[in-house]
Amino acid sequence: MHNAGIEFHHVWKKFRRGEVHDSLRDLIPAMGRRLVGRAGPRRNELQAGDFWAVRDVSFAIGAGQALGIVGPNGAGKSTVLKILTHILRPNRGSCIVRGRIGALIEVSAGFHPDLTGRENVYLQGAIMGMPAVDIARKFDQIVEFSGLTDFIDTPVKRYSSGMNARLGFSIAAHLDPDVLVIDEVLAVGDFAFQTKAFGRVKEMIASGIPVVVVSHQLDRVSELCTEAILLSRGQVLRQGSAAEVIASYALNAAQQTAEARGHEPVLLESLALTAPGTVRSGERFGLTLEGRIRDGGLPDNIEGVVLTVRSAQSGSVVFGTTTARCGIALPKQGAFTITAELQANLPPGIYGIETNVWDRTRGSMIGGGPSTYVEVVPGRDFDGSVQLNATVQLDAAAPASG
Amino acid sequence: MTTVGLADERHGVLSDLREVMGDFWRFRELLYQLTLRDVRIRYKQAVMGFGWAIFMPLLIILAGMLIRLAMATMSGGGLDRTAIAGLAVKSLPWAFFVGALGFAVASLTGNMTLVTKVYFPREVLPVSSVLAQLFDTSIGALGLLIVLLAFHITPSLSWLWIPVLVLLLVTLTAGTCLLLSCGNLFFRDVKYIVQVLLTFGIFFTPVLFEPVMVGPTAASIIMLNPVAPVLEGLRLCIVEHHNLLQPLVATSHKGITFTVWHPWYLAYTAAWAIGGLLGSALLFHRLEFVFAEYI
Repeated sequence: MHNAGIEFHHVWKKFRRGEVHDSLRDLIPAMGRRLVGRAGPRRNELQAGDFWAVRDVSFAIGAGQALGIVGPNGAGKSTVLKILTHILRPNRGSCIVRGRIGALIEVSAGFHPDLTGRENVYLQGAIMGMPAVDIARKFDQIVEFSGLTDFIDTPVKRYSSGMNARLGFSIAAHLDPDVLVIDEVLAVGDFAFQTKAFGRVKEMIASGIPVVVVSHQLDRVSELCTEAILLSRGQVLRQGSAAEVIASYALNAAQQTAEARGHEPVLLESLALTAPGTVRSGERFGLTLEGRIRDGGLPDNIEGVVLTVRSAQSGSVVFGTTTARCGIALPKQGAFTITAELQANLPPGIYGIETNVWDRTRGSMIGGGPSTYVEVVPGRDFDGSVQLNATVQLDAAAPASG
Repeated sequence: MTTVGLADERHGVLSDLREVMGDFWRFRELLYQLTLRDVRIRYKQAVMGFGWAIFMPLLIILAGMLIRLAMATMSGGGLDRTAIAGLAVKSLPWAFFVGALGFAVASLTGNMTLVTKVYFPREVLPVSSVLAQLFDTSIGALGLLIVLLAFHITPSLSWLWIPVLVLLLVTLTAGTCLLLSCGNLFFRDVKYIVQVLLTFGIFFTPVLFEPVMVGPTAASIIMLNPVAPVLEGLRLCIVEHHNLLQPLVATSHKGITFTVWHPWYLAYTAAWAIGGLLGSALLFHRLEFVFAEYI
C-alpha cells in the first residue's frame, strides 16, 4: 500500500534463550566490533541458542485502518509493538512509521512514586515526547479525564494502582499522535473509566489515524479493528478482516480441546452459511452441513451431529443442540445434508459455529467437524446478552374529565 | 517518516555522532524533566534537604584538614588558611565527580521499565544524573564562595579559568558516566567496581593533598589521572591566582625544584574529556538498540 502510516515488510527478530552474555570474554570483542563499526559473525542468521520471536511478518495500515494483533502468550505480539515503537530493531526486513507514534503501552512507566500527580504528568508527557507547552495547554483536560482533580498534588505513591493507571492513560490519550499503538491498556481502572477510555480510543481511530491494537480482549479487538492478524510462535497464521481472524483464533483455541480422531464412522465434510457474511442481531440465518456415513454403516452408539455456537469474544458456548434433540435420525449409510435455521438473538459480535459427532456410550464428542463463523451486526438495539424481542405497548390513560 | 534500522546496521562515526546530537536536541525537554525529577526526589522526604549539597564536600574538607594537620605536626609546621581554602576548592569538584558517577551508573538499570517499554534516546538517563549533580554542586559552590571570602581570597582575573575547568570536568564526568552506565546494564557488578574505585580514588587524586607533597616522580604519575589537572588547576587559579597558561615551578622543603603546573596538563585533560565523551557517546549509541534485550 502506498503512503500507509505503518509498513512492516518481512520483519524477522531473533532472541536468545537463557542467559545472554556468559562472560566478559565474549562481550568485549563484540563491543569492540560495534565501536569500530565492523560487522561480526552474521547477525541475521540463527546461532546456537537463538530463536525467531518474529518470523516474516508483513502488514501495512493506512489512515482510518485499525489492525488487531491476536494470538496466544509468547506469540510475538509485544515484540512486534516494540519494533514499531523503535525499542527493538529487527534482524531482517524493514519497518516504516510515518509521523509521531503514540503508544498506549505501560502508560505509567515513567511515574516516580515520590513526585506528585502534577509533576508526574509533565515527566511522563516528556517521556512520551510531548512538548511542555502542549502538556501545559492540555493539563486541565488530562486531569479532568483522569478524574483525579482532588489528588493531583498528592504524591503518586499514595495513589491506588487504578488511580495510577488512570492518570497514565489520560496523559497518553492526549498525545495527538500520527500513529497509535495500544497494548493491553484498555483494561485500566474501574468499569466507568474503562468505558471512557475505550470511547477515547474509538474517537482517536475515528479521527482517521492508523492504529495497532494488541489485546487478549477479543471483543475489544473486534469492536475497534478493521483488520487483524493472528500470530503464533512468531508467524502469521492468518491475516484478514478482524471478524474472520478473531473467529478463526477463537475457534482454533476451542478446537484444541475437542478430540480429533481419524476413521470415525461419520464424516462431516463441509459447513457453510446459506447467506455468507453478516446477520443483523435478532434476525435469522441458515446453515448447510454436508457429510456422509462411512462404509461400515452407522453404529448404534452415534446419536447424531452436535451444533455449537460459541462467542468468539468470551469463548463460551451460547447455544448447542443435536440432531437427536431436533428429532432427526442420521441415515444408516450414504451422504446427507443437514440444513438449519437459527435466530441470532445475540448481541453484536463474532460467533463461531462448530460441528461434532456425539458418541452416546462414551458420552463425548468424537471427530471435530468443519466450523465457520457468523458476524452479528447491530440490529434492533438492546443491552445485555440475549435479545428477548420485547414487544412493548403503551396504553395512555385518558385524561380524567371534569 | 522514520524507518527502523536493522539490528546490525552500521553507520559512519560522524553520522552516528550527528544522530546523538540530534536526539539530544529533540529530547531536550525530556532531559530537563528527568533532571528536575532527580533534583526533586533528592530533596523530597529528606532530613538534610539542601544540606546534602554541602555535606559531602564538608566531610572531605574535614578529612583533608585532619591529614594535613598530621603532616604539618610531623614536619613541625602549621595549617594555614590557603591550605584549607585549597582543600575546599578541590573537595567540591571531587564530590561532584563521585556523586554524578554514583547516580549515573545505576541510571539505566534503575529505570528498567522505561528502557524496556518506552522509546527515547537512552543517553538522557545518565546525562540527567550528571546535570542533577551539577545542580547540587552549584549550591555547594555558593557555600564555597562564602568560605573563600571569609578567608580573604577574593576574585581575580585568574578566576576566568573556572568556567573552562568546570566545562572540562563536566565533559569528563559525562563521558565516564555514559560508559559506566552502559557497562552496568550488561554487567551488574560494574556498579560495585565503581564504588570501590571511587572509595580509593581519593588517594590517587590530589584532593586531600597536593602533588608537591609526594615528590616529583609520584606527582607526575598522579597528574596522569585526568581529574587531577582539573582539581589542581582550580586550586591554582582560585587560591594561588595563577594564570594556567604559565608553568609553575616550586621548590619542595627538601630543596628539590619541580613543575607543579604546566599548560600541557590542560591539553592532556581536554584530550581525555573530549575523546572520552565522543568515544563513550558513540559506544553508547551503538549499543542502545540492544539495551531492551540485554538489561
